[in-house]
Amino acid sequence: MPDLVPVETLTFEKALAELEQIVGRLERGDVPLAESIAIYERGEALKNHCAKLLGEAEARVEKIRLNADGRATGTEPLDVP
Amino acid sequence: MATLLVTDPIFLEHLVLPGQPERPDRLRAIAQSLAEEPFDALVRKGAVAADEDALMLAHDEDYVALIRDAAPTEGFVRLDPDTAMMSKTWTVARHAAGSAMLAVDDVLSGSVKNAFVAARPPGHHAERDRAMGFCFFNNAAIAARHAQRSHGIRRVAIVDWDVHHGNGTQAIFYEDPTVLYASTHQMPLYPGTGAESERGVGNIFNAPLPPGADGAAFRTAFSRKVIPAVDAFQPELVIVSAGFDAHWRDPLASLKLKEEDFAWATVEVLALAERHAGGRVVSLLEGGYDLTGLADSVAAHVGELMKA
Repeated sequence: MPDLVPVETLTFEKALAELEQIVGRLERGDVPLAESIAIYERGEALKNHCAKLLGEAEARVEKIRLNADGRATGTEPLDVP
Repeated sequence: MATLLVTDPIFLEHLVLPGQPERPDRLRAIAQSLAEEPFDALVRKGAVAADEDALMLAHDEDYVALIRDAAPTEGFVRLDPDTAMMSKTWTVARHAAGSAMLAVDDVLSGSVKNAFVAARPPGHHAERDRAMGFCFFNNAAIAARHAQRSHGIRRVAIVDWDVHHGNGTQAIFYEDPTVLYASTHQMPLYPGTGAESERGVGNIFNAPLPPGADGAAFRTAFSRKVIPAVDAFQPELVIVSAGFDAHWRDPLASLKLKEEDFAWATVEVLALAERHAGGRVVSLLEGGYDLTGLADSVAAHVGELMKA
């Protein structure tokens, strides 16, 4: 594996692009045996990083919605019998 | 009855590019481990070379000639990103295949009960016309065909617990109902084949394991998929593609097997062979790249073979 940028410093777009590239290589079968596990682990780290960024973005969207609402209706427990 | 060990210093002579994990030290580690006192009772034999006709049991004539002629007089010739030839490779690879055939001969003649072949380069990634993943000739496929052609064996089961899927073995027998191929392997991982949906003509059984799977998961998959398939097939000979890279220490994969898991699988294979094949098992070394994990796992495996 060439020198790689630490996953946690990547933007969502860059991480997703690299992940798509890795998935493409795995699907084409052009990953060497000796590197396969490193590439898989990089893919897993990229996937987790993307999921984390998505989760953070969702949390921000939720916050905005709640602020605009003025009340914390979204987090009130549902009064379901 | 005895267990045969086929190994030879010639297997140290296939050299690899720096940093390649499939290296001569693997066999040095195994030799050291099997030199211990518990293994004194092994019947030991050196390697013999397979001739070109034997290689053609599993490979195209053109491919055999290509490999023969590709060997450089000095330096390395790369056949794929993992797989390079040097001056001795052609000779050493023929000895790996020939040793598998020798083990078949001795097990089927009844002079030994079972056999382990500690050879390299390994074989299960080699396809009919393609070297890949450290492999040049498919030792297990050649051994299976040899048993059929020279010993009148009809049904051969190949059980492959290397952590990588044996794409070569699967492809060679994909339309051959006389050979069963059953594999446990990590997925996703090199070479990318080995999905459960790949079934051949009902003779291919793949049990992929997710990254991080431990010995319990391996045993469950082996018990649910491999054992019933081999039982139903009723083989007259069982060949094991015995890779030890599913070991937790191995750098090329992320399964978490321990030595006792390989011992367990060995006992299960021996029981299968006892039920159907007169106990006849020929086990061939495939992968395994952590020297400690490899040596300890081989010792556990061969130890169980010797108890049969």
